Amino acid sequence: MDKERKANLDRALNPKVIAVVGDKKITDYMWLKSVKDAKAKVYSVQIDENDIPGIEAMGIDNRKSLADIPEQVDYAIIAVPRPVLPFILADCIKENVGAAAAFTSGFAETGEADGIELQERIIKMTSEANFNLVGPNCMCLYHAKVGIRNTADQWIGEGGNIGFMSNSGTHATNFVIRARSNGLYPAKSISMGNSISIDQGDWLEYLGEDPDIEVIGMYIEGTRDGRKFFETLREVAQKKPVVIWKGGQTKEGARAAASHTGHLASDMALWDAMIRQTGAIRVDTQDELMDTMKALLMMKPFTGENMGIIAQTGGQSVLVSDAFGSQELKVPALTEKTHERLRPIVTVVGGSYKNPLDVSGSLTSVERATEMLNGLHDDPNTDIIVMESSIGFIQRRLEKQGQGLDTLIEGLKAFQESSKKPFGVIATWNQNEGELADFRQKVSDAGIAVFPTFQAGAGAIRKVRDYYRKKETLGTK
Amino acid sequence: MSSFTDIRSAARAENRVILTEQESKTVLKAINIPITEPILATNSKEAANISSEMGFPVALKIASQDITHKSDVGGVRLGLDSQEEIVEVFDQMINTVKKEAKGSSIDGITVQPMAPPGGVEVIIGVTRDHQFGPVVMFGLGGIAVEILQDVSFRIAPLTPIDAEEMIKEIKGYKMLTGYRAFKPVNMDKLKDLLLKVSDLAMQESEISEMDLNPVFAYENDVVAADARIILTDN
Repeated sequence: MDKERKANLDRALNPKVIAVVGDKKITDYMWLKSVKDAKAKVYSVQIDENDIPGIEAMGIDNRKSLADIPEQVDYAIIAVPRPVLPFILADCIKENVGAAAAFTSGFAETGEADGIELQERIIKMTSEANFNLVGPNCMCLYHAKVGIRNTADQWIGEGGNIGFMSNSGTHATNFVIRARSNGLYPAKSISMGNSISIDQGDWLEYLGEDPDIEVIGMYIEGTRDGRKFFETLREVAQKKPVVIWKGGQTKEGARAAASHTGHLASDMALWDAMIRQTGAIRVDTQDELMDTMKALLMMKPFTGENMGIIAQTGGQSVLVSDAFGSQELKVPALTEKTHERLRPIVTVVGGSYKNPLDVSGSLTSVERATEMLNGLHDDPNTDIIVMESSIGFIQRRLEKQGQGLDTLIEGLKAFQESSKKPFGVIATWNQNEGELADFRQKVSDAGIAVFPTFQAGAGAIRKVRDYYRKKETLGTK
Repeated sequence: MSSFTDIRSAARAENRVILTEQESKTVLKAINIPITEPILATNSKEAANISSEMGFPVALKIASQDITHKSDVGGVRLGLDSQEEIVEVFDQMINTVKKEAKGSSIDGITVQPMAPPGGVEVIIGVTRDHQFGPVVMFGLGGIAVEILQDVSFRIAPLTPIDAEEMIKEIKGYKMLTGYRAFKPVNMDKLKDLLLKVSDLAMQESEISEMDLNPVFAYENDVVAADARIILTDN
């Protein structure tokens, strides 16, 4: 992407003036609503007399064409019928709009001749004019701190540090919504759609250079220019973590080939290879994406493999050890010094002061929990500290001290702040699910990584550990 | 020595995209990849003479521009130990292949030294992907690649770290670090081979696919015992 294109894209993502073209009553003015809270002046362009009154009732200045807008438009959202798109695009080019994002669909993605032909026409227009078109067939752009959104349901505000890019509008949209309920703060989410003028490599480069963004995530099905994407990923993954969720994994096997190599080189085998060699992180579900991002953003960096674990009960301590063991992580014996320190506080009969701690009824107060965590933390044999929280069980004991889960979360937060080792919480689906969801939300909001299952926690911790290890390998050789 | 360019031009002139084993190995030899060198014999007497000069045991393989799966048509015999055996096998092989692959042109039979015993069989290959361009594959050879598909890929060009990691990534990696009668193989030579193959794939855009299969990896060396290069269609 050249400097002019990048400057124009910056302008569109930080707009002073937004134009929404073709928004309709029948879709409840979804695009005007998506930008109505933006720190920008919003205009509508609509010629249909049925749709205009609703727009004006929202207090939005409607014009008959882009050319009638008295100010320079930075960002245009286009939701017009397919055959009209080329005309609106011509106006955008003429009026020097920074970028246009087209919700309009029905192009090459249909696989039909009409759509493909129309897409070719648009490609010609945008490339001749060196114009930024997002999509078509997309859910446009999200930028939290300026208030432009893929949908009005999304959170907006300051402090976002995650960049997301997606082949699918649904995943671009949902990422932002779900990330917030996992204590994560998205900064930008790009619905790339058919990516005809700004391709996957361009967006990756753009997010890679964005100083607000600490971690990049993506949902990707394929890329038009794999070589460019590979080379860009190789650079960007050195600067910040890139988490890749690849869809369409079983769509196509290997093609017919005259060699073993050609036969075995399936699409997924090559994506997996690229992810490994560039030092990016592979996830296979949105759940894994969330958990991996939490481990990246909320846990201190780590390359070790030794877990120090608190479990509430014996049954859980077995399962949690199994889960970490299956991810090439260890639950080592603690030193004798730590045993001496923990023995007097893990007193309940049937409990265990050995790693993983089975604290049972001994976790009687937040202060006690902190002592246990510090015991694990100070042991030279541990690298990563995790606490399994069966909340019903804990709550009953804390209540006797006049404490509750909120006090516990404060205690955990204080421990995390003082800790030199990465820390996470696992709150499994083993008791009241509604209460658990609420607890997790509060733990996340406190900035502590909380995982919904042992497998999820172990998987995310391993992926992130492998990321830091690979970074070290690439950095030192 | 003929380079890739000469061999490619000769094949293109004959409208072929699949290079013969001899041609493929010549390309590899030109970039210093160790191979077992095939020498063409057009009759049994010639084959016997070549083999006694080469030293036993040897392998005989049918030389034909039309046949790509030589062993499927009875065109491969390994571990032959004497001139008499060679004379006998030569004519048998010509007859069998004529029957099994009717109408194929036959240039003769190549004689090549057997790779020494005690090596671990691996496969190294290249393919040109529509999205990513040239990619390199590594795996254990023989059954491991055909049935278990225990292979790893990297997008070319490989760095030395890529070469090392793709070797360690396969499930059968322990086979390479010493196992029962097998000595640990020379990792530096194996990595070097991967890097050379990667360079070749990057330089020659007309290579569409390539299998070095099997490559034998030993304590001190590696050697490609068979190879096949396929050119792009245009």
